[in-house]
Amino acid sequence: MTGPCAIVGGGLAGFVAHATLRKGGLEPADIAVFGSDPDPAAVWRVRAAAIRQRRMRSESDGHCAPATFPGLAVRAALRRRSVVPLLQTVADRYHPTVGEFLEHVEELRAETGWDESFRRARIEQVRAVEGGFELDDHGVFAHVLVAPGHPGLAFPEELAGDPRAVHAYEPHDYAEEVEVVGAGMAAATEWLNALAAGSTVTSVRRREPERRPLNLPRELFTRRGLAGFHRAPDAERVAFLRRYGAPSYPRGPAWDEPVERAAGEGRFRVAAEPNGAGQVICATGFKRGFRHDGLLARLVAEHGLETVEGWIVLAPDSTVPSLTDTGRTLALGGAPAQWAFPAADTLVGAKYSARGLLRRVQAWRTR
Amino acid sequence: MAYTLRGRLESRLAATLAPLLAACVVALVAKAWWPVELAALMLAVGLALDAAVYHRVLPYQPGWAALPLGLLELGAVMGLARLLDVAAPLAAALAFFAGAWLIAQVLAHAVLPLARLSYGDDGGELGRPGAAVAALALIVLGSAVGVAWTTQPPVVRLEAGIHQGPLVLDRSQRLVGEAGAVVRGGIVVTADDVTVRDVTVVGGEIGIEVDGAERVVLDGVEVLWAELDGINVRRGTVTVRDCVIREPIGSHAQGIDISFSFDLGPSVVERCTVTGGMEGIVTHFARALVRDNLVSETTLRAITLTEMSMADVEGNEVEDALGVGIFCGDYSMCRIEENSVSGTVADVESGDRTRMGFGILSHYGAEATLADNRLRGNARPTGSFLRASISSE
Repeated sequence: MTGPCAIVGGGLAGFVAHATLRKGGLEPADIAVFGSDPDPAAVWRVRAAAIRQRRMRSESDGHCAPATFPGLAVRAALRRRSVVPLLQTVADRYHPTVGEFLEHVEELRAETGWDESFRRARIEQVRAVEGGFELDDHGVFAHVLVAPGHPGLAFPEELAGDPRAVHAYEPHDYAEEVEVVGAGMAAATEWLNALAAGSTVTSVRRREPERRPLNLPRELFTRRGLAGFHRAPDAERVAFLRRYGAPSYPRGPAWDEPVERAAGEGRFRVAAEPNGAGQVICATGFKRGFRHDGLLARLVAEHGLETVEGWIVLAPDSTVPSLTDTGRTLALGGAPAQWAFPAADTLVGAKYSARGLLRRVQAWRTR
Repeated sequence: MAYTLRGRLESRLAATLAPLLAACVVALVAKAWWPVELAALMLAVGLALDAAVYHRVLPYQPGWAALPLGLLELGAVMGLARLLDVAAPLAAALAFFAGAWLIAQVLAHAVLPLARLSYGDDGGELGRPGAAVAALALIVLGSAVGVAWTTQPPVVRLEAGIHQGPLVLDRSQRLVGEAGAVVRGGIVVTADDVTVRDVTVVGGEIGIEVDGAERVVLDGVEVLWAELDGINVRRGTVTVRDCVIREPIGSHAQGIDISFSFDLGPSVVERCTVTGGMEGIVTHFARALVRDNLVSETTLRAITLTEMSMADVEGNEVEDALGVGIFCGDYSMCRIEENSVSGTVADVESGDRTRMGFGILSHYGAEATLADNRLRGNARPTGSFLRASISSE
């Protein structure tokens, strides 16, 4: 065997898993991380910059460290020598800046020895073998977390190949007249960005956006809400994931006031279809489902994994049941782990998967 | 945090463990069981609210909710403590509760998430350690309550009827009178941790005498026809509540006299009715809380705090005293609040300027601080003599 643990995917979900395993007592040499960029926030950084995101939607515990405490609010309070972040966080009103978050990622990267574990390689195939999993020609690992990230940006079919169209998560500026397709956090951010740039904005959407502070009700981040989700039959679980997969953004005057003001000036309107503006920004998120990811699609096909619609069926701890036993673990992290944790594509979701993996590794080590 | 029910209960029990152990230590050091009783009440109230209210009403509990929920629990605990006669001093009880609350917050927000990475994911559940912690908390509590129970003084029942005194209580015990139990000739308490409840004492020079004994409780006693003092406490600490002292015989009789115990700790006299006698309630060189009593028809002073006493006098009713209603004298420090003093008449025959019907009087270097007292129908409302001060808040 090459090593006890491997993480396929060098993004934030893999980074969280690495930090969690380190906290659990593994050395950097015990963990191999396979990714394309040594900066775990590289992809996220580009997307956040593209939509000019300044603050995180997540709150104080939206960080990559393995333990909830100290959260980003505590760190900010210490750094700023102010109790304001603490008061904000007890009222669930603290949202770290993107800068604070990225600074935290850098600190944790150095602290956990991420670079010692990182190997620049794109894994194409995960193959179950005796006592573990073979990752291309990089060897066999007993415990593997696959966190490949989102499989790509989603574009509306009717805009495919349209030169006016740009995805919100791609670098772009704003034309005089802008159509923003979508109704989630990225879309709402783009309305404000375009309005601030002096554009006239048309929000293209077929339904009213959902307004929630986080992308799921808070009880679904803990066992309180998860227990019912895990007990639910497949069809119910799919319906639930579809329902909460619908885009949403938070309530609050910071979101509403600029839009209302612009609407009063005739610079913001809502339409059901694109109307021919010079620029169409697609704030339509990511492709969904394992079939869009080559690695996951091959994994399912070669091992006959159970799936339901676009989701790979997972145990409640985010492991693949048919490929996990006391001697080896295959777990999914990030967006593909929604069958176990509906908010799997959040930092809290990444920690959930990572903790599941850590429990397995610890049980294996003390066997 | 979105707690599961089990998570709430386990977190609660884990957070109670340290205060519970602290309560046991304080109880042993102070030789008083109220810390354990208070900790047990806190735990019982917390668990009941967790199971019956919080779990249903709060699917998600934001951080700020800890404060109003803490205040709710504090109110319930203090209310129950009063109802169940837990003898916890208010300041100590509040400090204990605040400390326990703070520990719970630090545990829930910092220690447990650090100790158990999945604490948040698990809705506050602690897994196997949680069961152990819960069991430990319950074992500690059970042991403390068991020890408290087994070390309680024996209960001695006094049958209905007349018992010839003086009755000398020289061992820790609870003397509980049945309805109609009467002691003729007085009771003398010389041992610590004695409780006398529901007993009527008739005659004798002193109705109930506490001599060099601490933590004595006189609850629901009635004293009639005492020649000198209804209740006399020397070098001791007492809690006297719901008593009746009436119809004293001697011209120098006093209702309740607590003296020379300044260094021992405070005594409490509450909800007593004292009628007649020279002085109703009097302290000499003692610390005392005198509250919610009715004192009337005294011939020297109704309530006297003197000889460097330090006392809080709250919510008492003083009626028809001759000379002085409430007296703070001889370098004592008195906080006199929310009392009603009425019908104090001047003792003209004495020819003493300080006895000319003062509702409240400060005398000879004493410091009296007044707040919200009702003074009606007194010959003079307030006065101060001989470098004494009287001030209002």
